[in-house]
Amino acid sequence: MKKQNQSEAKTFRQKAEELLKNKSAQSVLRLSENKIQQLIYDLEVSQIELELQSQELTFQNEEKEKRADELIIANKELLFQNEEKEKRADELGIANKELLFQNEEKEKRAAELVIANKELAFQNEEKEKRADELIIANKELLFQNEEKEKRAAELSIANKQLESFSYSVSHDLRAPLRHIDGYVDLLLRRFYDTLPDKAKHYLDNIADSSRQMGILIDDLLQFSRTGRQEMRQTELDMNSIVQEVLKPIKQDNPNRNIEWHIATMPPIYGDQALLRLVWTNLLSNAVKFTRNREKAIITITVRDEKDEFIFEVTDNGVGFDMQYAQKLFDVFQRLHPTDEFEGTGIGLANVRQIILKHGGRTWAEAKPDEGATFYFSLPKEAEKGSRQ
Amino acid sequence: MSELRTILLAEDNPKDVELTLEAMAENNLANQVVVVKDGVEALEYLRCEGKYKLRKAGNPALILLDIKMPRMDGIEVLRRIRSDVALKRIPVVVLTSSREEKDLINTYDLGVNAYVVKPVSFQQFIEAVKQIGSFWAVLNELPPEGGL
Repeated sequence: MKKQNQSEAKTFRQKAEELLKNKSAQSVLRLSENKIQQLIYDLEVSQIELELQSQELTFQNEEKEKRADELIIANKELLFQNEEKEKRADELGIANKELLFQNEEKEKRAAELVIANKELAFQNEEKEKRADELIIANKELLFQNEEKEKRAAELSIANKQLESFSYSVSHDLRAPLRHIDGYVDLLLRRFYDTLPDKAKHYLDNIADSSRQMGILIDDLLQFSRTGRQEMRQTELDMNSIVQEVLKPIKQDNPNRNIEWHIATMPPIYGDQALLRLVWTNLLSNAVKFTRNREKAIITITVRDEKDEFIFEVTDNGVGFDMQYAQKLFDVFQRLHPTDEFEGTGIGLANVRQIILKHGGRTWAEAKPDEGATFYFSLPKEAEKGSRQ
Repeated sequence: MSELRTILLAEDNPKDVELTLEAMAENNLANQVVVVKDGVEALEYLRCEGKYKLRKAGNPALILLDIKMPRMDGIEVLRRIRSDVALKRIPVVVLTSSREEKDLINTYDLGVNAYVVKPVSFQQFIEAVKQIGSFWAVLNELPPEGGL
């Protein structure tokens, strides 16, 4: 444009110069030329400014379009965000429903928990009642134990008293007996010739009685000792015990015709020394009370019952009347006169006492003059802590 | 063995003394018996003290000892005899009516030579005394006197 303007100006100028021969016209022309110059200048400036502005506008437009593009992207983004937001809103809606459901469940659980707590509180009360009862029961048990220990202590004292009583009996009762026997013997010995027969007879009886008393004392002491003895239980072979016991019995009765039938016996649990005493008593009795038979037949058998063994000693001796069988195992009780069969009547009492300690029983059957059978049972399980 | 051997009898009960002496008489041993009535007198005799200060010196051949005596009993006497150098070899036979386990244990622990329980029957007692006498006072070789 500039060029156009300038060529136009130039052309104008030439034309003007032509015309300008006139000075005033020249001067006016010059003025006009200046004005035009000025105008051209201004125009150019304006043109430049315009161009600048146009450039600026173009730039602005470009920027505007960039901004527009960006805005479109931003709008798309926003749309997308909105879609997402709606999805989230939907999800939140579901989540809320879920939460609502959970809350309902929670309230149900809370209600159940309240009931459970009430139940627990009740249980705890019960537990505390039980605990209290247990404390009382424990106190009771402690008391029982104390009582038990008192009883055990009393028993121990009673046993010791019995022990020293036995000692006194053993020593103090025997002394006067010895004296009686001694002086009676001396009387008979030193004054035999001067004593009338009757006197001798009386003196004999005195001596007999004191001897008898000595045996009674020994038997009673033995009985008392057996009763207080601690049982030492082991597994035993009854067969060998019986054989041991038979030896002295056979030795003491060499001239007797005795047929022995002894069954094989099972091993049992018991106190060896005490059971030996039992067999000694029973077998000696069988031998004694078959004394009047040509041939004595003594049989030992054993029966296997569920929880116990039953031992039987049968003889073909003088037997006894069952009417009095109750007294058979009592201390010093006899069913036969002493002049027919000697003895103090302690043997069977010992047997009963010992068998009782083992947890067994004793009994007997007989017919007068048709022999007798003596029974005792022993439990298969060891007897724990049985005392008289 | 020509010399008569002394037997010391310690017994408190006069009836038992009499019966024992009679039993010894039946066996011709009565002459040699010295009787004391409790442990204190027994020791006085053995140590030649008190009323025995002037007795003929020498230990008895045998001591027959009862257990139950007043003042000092047989067990205590035995203990002192066995711990006395001069006396501890003397044979001691307990002669008692007690067969109690603790008496047996105590006396044997203290070194008694024999323990005889007096039988109730006098006849048997005579027999027992005969055996004791003929063994301890006749057959047995006496221990040498204990040195001081």
